[in-house]
Amino acid sequence: MRFALAWSSLRRHGTRTLLATLGVAVAAAMLLDMVMMSTGLRESFRELLLSRGFQLRLAPRGTLPFDTDATIENTTGIIAKLRANPAIVTVSPVLGGTIHVPVRGKVVTSAALGVNPLVQGDYELLSGKDPKGRDDIVANDDFLRATGARVGDTIEVSAGYDPQLRTYAGSRKMVVTGRARFLYGAAAQLATAMQLSTLQEMGGPDRRDDSSLFMMKVRADAQVESARAWIERAIPEVSAISTSSALAQVDQRLSYFRQLALILGTVSLFVGFLLVTTLMTVSVNERISEITVMRALGVSRMHVVQQIVLEGIVITIGGATAGLGLGLVTARYLNGILSSFPGLPVAIDFFLFQPKAAWVSLGLLSLSGIAAGVYPSYRAASLPIATTLRQEAIA
Amino acid sequence: MLTPLFAAFLLLQQPGHRTIAIDERLAEDGRISIGDRLTISSTPGSLSGDTVIVSAIVKRGADPAEIARSEYRVRMHLDHLQKVAGYGDRVDRFAVSSRGPRTIDHALSAINATAFGFQAWRSRDIAVETSRTFQVVSRFHKAIGLITIVASAIFLLCIMLLKVEERRRDVAALRLMGISRATVVKGIVAEAALLALIGCALGVALGWVSSQFINWYYQGIYRTPLYFSLITPGIVSLAVGLSLVLGIGAGFVASLRLVRTPPLTLFGR
Repeated sequence: MRFALAWSSLRRHGTRTLLATLGVAVAAAMLLDMVMMSTGLRESFRELLLSRGFQLRLAPRGTLPFDTDATIENTTGIIAKLRANPAIVTVSPVLGGTIHVPVRGKVVTSAALGVNPLVQGDYELLSGKDPKGRDDIVANDDFLRATGARVGDTIEVSAGYDPQLRTYAGSRKMVVTGRARFLYGAAAQLATAMQLSTLQEMGGPDRRDDSSLFMMKVRADAQVESARAWIERAIPEVSAISTSSALAQVDQRLSYFRQLALILGTVSLFVGFLLVTTLMTVSVNERISEITVMRALGVSRMHVVQQIVLEGIVITIGGATAGLGLGLVTARYLNGILSSFPGLPVAIDFFLFQPKAAWVSLGLLSLSGIAAGVYPSYRAASLPIATTLRQEAIA
Repeated sequence: MLTPLFAAFLLLQQPGHRTIAIDERLAEDGRISIGDRLTISSTPGSLSGDTVIVSAIVKRGADPAEIARSEYRVRMHLDHLQKVAGYGDRVDRFAVSSRGPRTIDHALSAINATAFGFQAWRSRDIAVETSRTFQVVSRFHKAIGLITIVASAIFLLCIMLLKVEERRRDVAALRLMGISRATVVKGIVAEAALLALIGCALGVALGWVSSQFINWYYQGIYRTPLYFSLITPGIVSLAVGLSLVLGIGAGFVASLRLVRTPPLTLFGR
């Protein structure tokens, strides 16, 4: 009965109901997007960090992995120290660099990683084999496209230039043994991986035993934070970064987006609330005589309140449901824009759909819809019946 | 006046030490002043290093590329840094000034024709490349702005519709008194325009206050003189223009609906 009355009241003012629902839909879409943005980046980054099971990373002191060109010397000694800790089960050293491949009169420049293929966590092999030989290299599709090379081809690779002699430095012939997808690679970034010792040799005597990063897996029953603290004490020249501390750093650097999400999310919620409140107030004012007649016929105050609140809920839920779909479309569009950040790993999403985010948005809007209808309906239902009827009759 | 002179005197008294300039953030965090002695090293945690004297504290520039990186900056003489970092006789880049805009193309082709292992770029091209991050942020802001405009338009249309419909009885009375439809529409549109103007004035004031707060807040967080929010005449014109067009349009549509309804129906008869 209450729902039928609420529904007929909404249908009586079709344009108004449609516009209000549309307004709530846009507010809900914005709210969903902002909830997705406030948690999406963090969650997406966390998933990426833990995708290969490495819980700890070591970078040159005071830096984040690959944040600068700084490297860590004495890789062999550091690996030996790390292996002395029984909590650490896997150590994967990585050296970052740049390689140059002369192809048909031009030079293709690409990022290169020196890794231990047995324990690496930087790429997924799509076809072919890992670079187990000293002259093996795996590359991503962008690199293969740019160089025209295929798996099995031999290519000339250099690690640098010698401007005085006008030759390439650290050159060697390498065999492309596999196609790989680099987990931390940016969109359209050319990337390759080879054995750590190969890239160290190509870098010359200065890089003979250098690494840019160490990734580590900690035993399942060990405390990651204890291992991190132990490393910082035992190896002062590095910064040990756990997933939680990396997330804290990312939070700090990208706090702008979280704050923007909070502000715009609050504004969206407020706009949705204001829209439904205005609509309900005007609607109730218009129907004062109708409500008073209902009251005079013996309809209870609570019944009137429930009917009007129900109208607000219908508009809010209708708008929020449409807004969820609209929000997913706009989130995809906005994510497409932010994904083109230079150097951002392809795997990172700013807007990550999580059912919890959708429920939070829907719940917040429903609450605001209920709150929006309560005051005007209670006020209307509380008017003195006889006086109001007389005033309405005179009017 | 005495303090800089004293610092300069101290510097002259210690000819064996090189001097460096540090940025104001490092000076503040490390409580370092001009004339202080520091030991610098390229190896973290190293006990041996090069002792230097702080000769200047440099104000940080408003560089958007640096805001998210809470890094300190130290300026040294080139040969000194090459020695400390073990970098040999290498540099990362050269800045070259030309005799004028006309000579740039010639200089670029001349350098690139003889270069091996390096390339010459126009400063403008480098600026475009390094500002890609901010182009992305700008595109994101524009997209958010577009969504906000759509939401505001619907909100405004809805409010105007409700506002006009609230006047059903007034309009019915005016029509029964013989006031023409056009006059009623003009009256309602004028009212909508006035409302939109008042809303614009309040919106601009609120925007200005928000902008001041945003700049104060983020300049404090990122410790930068960079402006995060700027209200330009162009932005104000766009906002006011859009609000007026949307407000008047919504008022016009709503009033048309009203005057087309028979007056007695408006009275609920």
